Amino acid sequence: MYIKRLLPYFLLLVWVGFACTNQDREKVYVYEVNEVEVNQTGISKDNLKSDLEFLSLAYSDLFGRTITEDQLNAMTIGYNALGDRALIADIIVRNMLNDPAAAVPTSQNMRGNLDQFIEDTYLKFYVREPGEYERWQLKQMIEGDSEITAEMIYYAFLTSDEYRYY
Amino acid sequence: MKRRTFLKKSSLLTAGAVAAPYILPSGRLFAQTMNRRVNHVVLCLFAGGVRNLESIHQDLGNLMPGILSGAASTEEGLQTIPSPVYPNRLTQEGTLFPELRYADGPTGHFNGHTVALTGVYTDTGLNLRTNPQQPTIFEYYLKHNSPVVTARNAWWVSNSLGPYPALNYSQHPQYGPMYGANHMAPTYLLNPALYPQLGQPKQFQFHEEEKVGMIRNFLNQNFGKEAILNDSGNVNTPEDARAIANFIQEMYEKGNNGGLNNPLGMPSALANNDIYTILFAEEIIKSFTPELLVVNITDIDAAHQNFTAYLNNIRKADYAVSHLWDTIQSTPGMANDTLLILVPEHGRNLETNTVRDIYGRFGTDHTGDATSREIFALFVGPNGIVNQDIRVGSANNPVGESIDIVPTIAHALGFDVNIPSGMLPGSVLNEVFV
Repeated sequence: MYIKRLLPYFLLLVWVGFACTNQDREKVYVYEVNEVEVNQTGISKDNLKSDLEFLSLAYSDLFGRTITEDQLNAMTIGYNALGDRALIADIIVRNMLNDPAAAVPTSQNMRGNLDQFIEDTYLKFYVREPGEYERWQLKQMIEGDSEITAEMIYYAFLTSDEYRYY
Repeated sequence: MKRRTFLKKSSLLTAGAVAAPYILPSGRLFAQTMNRRVNHVVLCLFAGGVRNLESIHQDLGNLMPGILSGAASTEEGLQTIPSPVYPNRLTQEGTLFPELRYADGPTGHFNGHTVALTGVYTDTGLNLRTNPQQPTIFEYYLKHNSPVVTARNAWWVSNSLGPYPALNYSQHPQYGPMYGANHMAPTYLLNPALYPQLGQPKQFQFHEEEKVGMIRNFLNQNFGKEAILNDSGNVNTPEDARAIANFIQEMYEKGNNGGLNNPLGMPSALANNDIYTILFAEEIIKSFTPELLVVNITDIDAAHQNFTAYLNNIRKADYAVSHLWDTIQSTPGMANDTLLILVPEHGRNLETNTVRDIYGRFGTDHTGDATSREIFALFVGPNGIVNQDIRVGSANNPVGESIDIVPTIAHALGFDVNIPSGMLPGSVLNEVFV
């Protein structure tokens, strides 16, 4: 009698337990994404390059190879022998640009694929991609003036404030 | 103040100073010169440690025929050096302090230079690339001269690198690089070995540079912070920077064309670093007619290990400064309007060291004995402004100290009255002036 009265509660418990254990297990979905290299934005660059770092990096960026010790020593002597550091840095950079071995695109190549040139230039000198505004504005400047050459763009990047930082 | 901000302000001030005299009906806004004695000063640090014994006292005969009267030295081992270019002995056209004193602090080359350029004795040791604590004469000039002038008027031409480039401005919070002189170590900067790195820069046309400037401004604005370089150096206006870059280029071309052979008319085989340093100082004089130029020569320091070379280098230094004065007096704008000051940074010990040269002469160091504090100073300038052919002081009555050079320069150029009181412990050597 007593067991008969409790039977429905017992069956209910069994059913609830069965219902809970019988649910589908939660599925884990894995979404694959391409690997993306995260580049520094300009604003996060707080470390100033030393004079030697600046000279050797400028050389590497322009010639695609590491500067030799002799070349770096010669540049350093010249750098220390003039009081106006901005001026001597400018002279050294212009000497690099004048070297036929410097890897500077022709203007034809630059204008042939301007978007790619701008992207490559930001990556080469600033180690980051350009922002949308930067991309648009620089493109406007180059497209609006047929006399602007890739050499002039490189010169501006190498002597800009951001290039002094990493 | 940041470099770019300073440039803007100094350009405006300079433009204002030039334009104002023609704008104001009453004439010049500023007195062009504030009771100036002369409009140009060239200080030649006859450095490397020269004893009065071999120079002013002529114990070994006259080794400085371009500066002093007296029977020529006949010491063994002296090289054949051309006769001085300038017709007069420099003492004939100036005031000689034969017994000036470097009265305090270590008798080290850098200390001596620092004292001569700051007007304050210092015990600072040789700290590579450490700017002096006290303002230099260049900073006093560029900050206190009226009207405001740019750094192309102030030059520090050094014989060597090491710590010397750091003497073009100080660490003083009220002064510093914004008031620094243009430093150049020409025998390094213009060395033919550096031609590939410095001698053939890409030349942009003016309108091309403007376009580059526009792009650079765009890049800098996006970055939003100005590059404050570790050692930013002195500051030039864009126009002056262009002129200096052109000067460097011209010097390289001159060297490539053989124009620097036989410097100052001396056979190249005889020429030392001092001769070339003075040569480039003269080129700066001819190109920029600076109001304040300091140049040092230091090959005399050979005395440590080769006393005969010391004697020969004193003679070459004498030849060089005679040539320097000849060039000053031949340069329009500076002729008869320049005060040339010659002064060693310190002397040398009376006692010799143990290093003997091939002629049997022992070397001598400079470690602070009384003789190493005995120096001279010569002030050469226009008749009627600078006292001619006189001596002030004697061994028994020394007159003048190293710390008096800076106030005397400031007085000659008329800006001494604007230097805050208490900055300079020395005095104007009034005996120089008529």
